[in-house]
Amino acid sequence: MTASQLMIEARGVEKWYPNGFHALRGVDLSVSKGEVVVIMGPSGSGKSTFIRTFNALEEFQAGSISVDGIALSNDLRNIDAIRCETGMVFQQFNLFPHLTVLQNLCLAPVLVRKRRRTDVERQAMQLLERVGIAEQAGKYPGQLSGGQQQRVAIARSLCMEPRILLFDEPTSALDPEMVGEVLEVMKALAADGMTMVVVTHEMGFAREVAHRVVLMSEGTIVEEAPPEIFFTNPQHERSRQFLAQIL
Amino acid sequence: MKARPPLLASLRRELFASRADAVISVGLLAAIGAALVGLLRWAFGQAEWVVIQANSTLFALGRYPLSQQWRLWLLMTLLAMATGLSWGLLRANPRADRSGVLWPANDRIAVAVLAFLTAWAPAALLLALPLQLRWWAITALLLVLRWAAGRWGRQLPAQLLRWVPLIWPLLYLLGMVLISGGLGLIQVPPSEWGGLLLTVLMASFAILASFPLGVLMALGRRSELPLLRWGSIGYIEFIRGAPLITLLFLGQNILGFLLPGGLAPDRVWRAAWVLTFFCGAYVAEAVRAGLASVPWGQQEAARSLGLSVPQALQHVVLPQALRIALPATVGQFISLLQDTTLLSLIGLLDLLGTARTVMANPEFLGKNAEVYLTLAVLFWCCCAALGLGSRALERRLDPSNTPA
Amino acid sequence: MEQRRPDLFPPLPLTSPALLPEPRVIPWWRDRRVVPWLVQGAVGLVVLVVIALLLGNLVRNLTAAGLLLSWRWLGQPASFDVAESLIPFDASMPYWRALVVGLVNSLRAILIGLVGATLLGTAVGMAAYSSNGLVRRLGRIYVELIRNIPLLLQLLFWYFVVFLSFRNGTEALQLPGVVLAKSGLYLAWFAEGWRWQGPELVNGVWQAPWRFSVEFAALLTGLITYTGAFVAEVVRGGIAAVPRGQWEAATSLGLHWGASLRTVVLPQALPVIIPGLNSQYISLAKNSALAVAVGYADLYSVAETTLNQTGRALEVFLLLLGAYLVIDLIISMLMNGLNRLVQIRER
Repeated sequence: MTASQLMIEARGVEKWYPNGFHALRGVDLSVSKGEVVVIMGPSGSGKSTFIRTFNALEEFQAGSISVDGIALSNDLRNIDAIRCETGMVFQQFNLFPHLTVLQNLCLAPVLVRKRRRTDVERQAMQLLERVGIAEQAGKYPGQLSGGQQQRVAIARSLCMEPRILLFDEPTSALDPEMVGEVLEVMKALAADGMTMVVVTHEMGFAREVAHRVVLMSEGTIVEEAPPEIFFTNPQHERSRQFLAQIL
Repeated sequence: MKARPPLLASLRRELFASRADAVISVGLLAAIGAALVGLLRWAFGQAEWVVIQANSTLFALGRYPLSQQWRLWLLMTLLAMATGLSWGLLRANPRADRSGVLWPANDRIAVAVLAFLTAWAPAALLLALPLQLRWWAITALLLVLRWAAGRWGRQLPAQLLRWVPLIWPLLYLLGMVLISGGLGLIQVPPSEWGGLLLTVLMASFAILASFPLGVLMALGRRSELPLLRWGSIGYIEFIRGAPLITLLFLGQNILGFLLPGGLAPDRVWRAAWVLTFFCGAYVAEAVRAGLASVPWGQQEAARSLGLSVPQALQHVVLPQALRIALPATVGQFISLLQDTTLLSLIGLLDLLGTARTVMANPEFLGKNAEVYLTLAVLFWCCCAALGLGSRALERRLDPSNTPA
Repeated sequence: MEQRRPDLFPPLPLTSPALLPEPRVIPWWRDRRVVPWLVQGAVGLVVLVVIALLLGNLVRNLTAAGLLLSWRWLGQPASFDVAESLIPFDASMPYWRALVVGLVNSLRAILIGLVGATLLGTAVGMAAYSSNGLVRRLGRIYVELIRNIPLLLQLLFWYFVVFLSFRNGTEALQLPGVVLAKSGLYLAWFAEGWRWQGPELVNGVWQAPWRFSVEFAALLTGLITYTGAFVAEVVRGGIAAVPRGQWEAATSLGLHWGASLRTVVLPQALPVIIPGLNSQYISLAKNSALAVAVGYADLYSVAETTLNQTGRALEVFLLLLGAYLVIDLIISMLMNGLNRLVQIRER
C-alpha cells in the first residue's frame, strides 16, 4: 500500500485520563482506502476512545496519528481539515432537536464548507433518498423512530462528503427490530467503497462486510485478522475468551 | 330513582366528605362570605374612586408633557399591532410536532379574569370618553390582527416569516425615539417620565440589556479557563448576595464617582443600569441551567461535523439552552417588573412613586386603600398575564417537559 | 476482498493547505493549546483595564471630595435617634453603635420572619393535598395572588391601610391574648413568676409582656405572608416530587392521610424542599431591607441615614454588603447542614 492509499495511520497511541487511568497503551492501526475495519472488545477496552482520537474528540498524549495524510497535531488548521474529512456516527444519534432533518444535514456544509444552501439541499435530499427516508425531510428528530434517526445521522455525516466514516456503536441504542435497517445502510455504504471504521457488537455485520476485525482489550490490540480467520480460528486466548462470551 | 346531578355530587365529595371537612367548609364559606360582603360594601359605598380617575394620566405617564402624549398613543398602537401579529402567526404556524392543549383548566380561569378586567377597566376607572374609545380601538386592533394573522398566516412564504421577529427590536428602537425624542421630535427628558410608562420602560430595558450580559456570564461560568470562571462566579454571587435596594442606593451615590470628572448620568439611567446588572446575574443562572441541560453529545456532534466552537455555540448549543432557560428568564422578568417598585424608595417616580405623591396631595389625603388596591390589581394583571404567556410558550416549545 | 473499490466521492481539490509539508513549529494563533489561554488573556486584560479605569476615577473623585476610604468616622457621635432598639441607644452614641442597633433589629425581623414564613408556608403547601376542595382552592388563590403583587406594595398596604388604621386606648382591636392598637401590637405571654399575663390598659396606655411596634408588626406581616406563599410552592413541589406509588403504598398499609404524610412522604420530600427553602430564606433576609419603607429601623435604614449624614458612600456600602453577605452565608451553611442530615442514604 502506498502512503496515499492509507486513510488512517496510527502509531503507538497512548492516552491517560486525568485520574491516571491508562486507557490506550501503545495502539497501532493502519486503515487503507475503501477498507472496512470492525473493532470489537469488552467494555472498557478503549475501543470507543481509540476511534474518537481519529477526529480529535479525544486527545492523546503519545504516539502519532495521521488521517488522509494530514497529521493530527495541535494545529487547529489540521484538526479542522481532518474533521471535514471524517464523519462520525454516534451511539446516541446526537441529532440537533431544534432543527428539521433537512436543516440538520445542511447546517455543517453551509457553515464549514461554505457551499450554497440550494446546492446543499439538493444533495441532502439525494442522501436522504439513499438512506430511505426522503419523505421525513421536513420533520423534527423527535418525531422519528430510533432507526430513522440513526439513518438521518448517517446522512448528516455523508453530507460533508467525508473520506472516512467512523461508527461508535451505532446500533447499541436501538430496539432490535430497527437494527437491521441501519445495518443495511452501512452495508450499502461499504459496497460503494467508503472507508469505514466501526465499533460494534454486531457479529453478522462483521462477518459479511468487514475486511478486517480488530479485537481490543484493556487498551491494546489483541488480534487483527480477516473475519473468516477471526471467527473460526482465533489465534489468541483472549480472542477465544471474548468470542465464547459473545457467541 | 333519579340520578344525582354530577355538580351536587362533586360538591358533596369535595366539601363535605368527612365531618371535619364539613365543619371547615362551613366555617370558611361563612368567613369568605363575610369578607366579600364587607369588601364590596366598602368598594361601592365608602371608597372614593375619584382619586384614581383624577390622576389617571399621572399614573399612566407621569409628568409627560400633554402635547406630546400622542407619541405614546402611537407607540401603544404599534405595540398592540405587533403583539396581535406575532400571536396570530405563532398560532397559525405551530411546529408540526407540538400539539396538545394550550390552556389547561387553571389557566383558563385566569385568562377569563384577565379578559374581564381588561374589558371593564376603562369604564370602571371612569376615564374620559376619548380615552375609553382609544383603549377600545387599540384592543380591537390587537384582536383583529391576531385573527387575521391566524387565518392567513400559513400562506405567508417562509422567507417572510423569518423576518417577522425583527419587528420587535425595531419597534423597541422606535419606541425609545418616540419616548425620549430625537429625529425631529421634541426631547422629553427622563425626569418627566413617570408612572406606568417609567415602570414598563425600566423593566424592559433592564431585561433586554441584561440578556446578553447574562448569556456571557453563563458561558464564562462554565468555561474551563480559571480567570473567566472565577470572574463570572464572583460577579454572580456578589449580586445575588446583596439586596436590590442597597445596589440601587449605591448606584445613585457611587456611580457618579466612577466616571471621569464626576460626570453623572441622569438618575433614571443610573437606576436602569443597576437593574440591568442585577438582572444579569439571575439571567446568568437561568441560562447556566439551560446550558447544563443540553446533552454533551450535541457539542461533540457539532465539533465532529467540523463546526468551530463559536459556530457550535451559536447554532447548536445556545438555541437549545435558551429554549430551556426561557421559563426561568420570563420568571425573572416578572420579578424585575415587581422590583421596579423599589425605584420609589430612591426618589424616582415610577408607578408606586407616583402613587405616593398622589397620596401625599392634601386633596386626596387618606385615600390610601383605593390607590393601593388599584395598583395591586394592575400589577397582578400584568404579572399574571406574563406568567400565563410564559407557561403557554413553554408548552408550545416543549409539551413533554412542562410542569403540571 | 482485495478488488479495487470505486471512490465514493470524487477527491476534493488540493487546496487544503494542511496537505502541504508539515511545518515543525505550529504558529501560535493556530495552536490548540495556546488559543484558549489567549482568549482568556484578552478578555481578562479588557476587564482589568476597565476596572482599573473605574477604580482610578473613583479614587480621584473621592479624594477631590475629601471622602477617601477611612473608618474613623465610625467613632463620631451619630446625632440621630433610632426609633426602636433592643440595646440602649441615643443620639450621642457613635455611628458604629447605631449600625449595630440596626443590625440587631434586622436579625430580629429575619429570625421571626423565617419561623413565621416556614410555618405558614408549610401549612399552605400541605393544604394543596387536603381532602377538602375549598381548602385546596383557597391555598391556590392565596399563592397566585401574593406572587403577582410586589412585596413593597404589600408592605405599604399592611402598614398604611391596616396597621395605621387601628385606634388607641379603648377603641383598639381586642382579640383573645392580642391587642392591635395604633401604638403597637401587644401579645400575652408569661410574666415573671410564670404567670400568664394578657395585655391590659393602664392609664389609657396598653401594656403587655410582648410589645411590637406597628412598623415591626407591619414588616413582619408583609414578609411572612409574602415569603409564606413562596415557601408553600417549594413545599408543594417537594411533596409532588415524591412518586405517587409511595402514597399508595402507605395507604394500603393502613395509614390514614395525616400519618402517611408525616411518616412516609415528608421524609422523602425534605431533600427536595430544603434547597428551595434555602433560596427563599436568603430572599427573605434580603427583602427585610425594605423595612425602610415602613419606617422600621433595620440595618439598611440606619445605614441610609448614616450615609445621608456623613456622605461616606463607599464605606457604608461595604459594611452593608458585608453584613448581608455574612447573613446569607450563615443561612446557606445551616441549610446545607440540614440538607446533609435529611439525605436518604442510598447504596
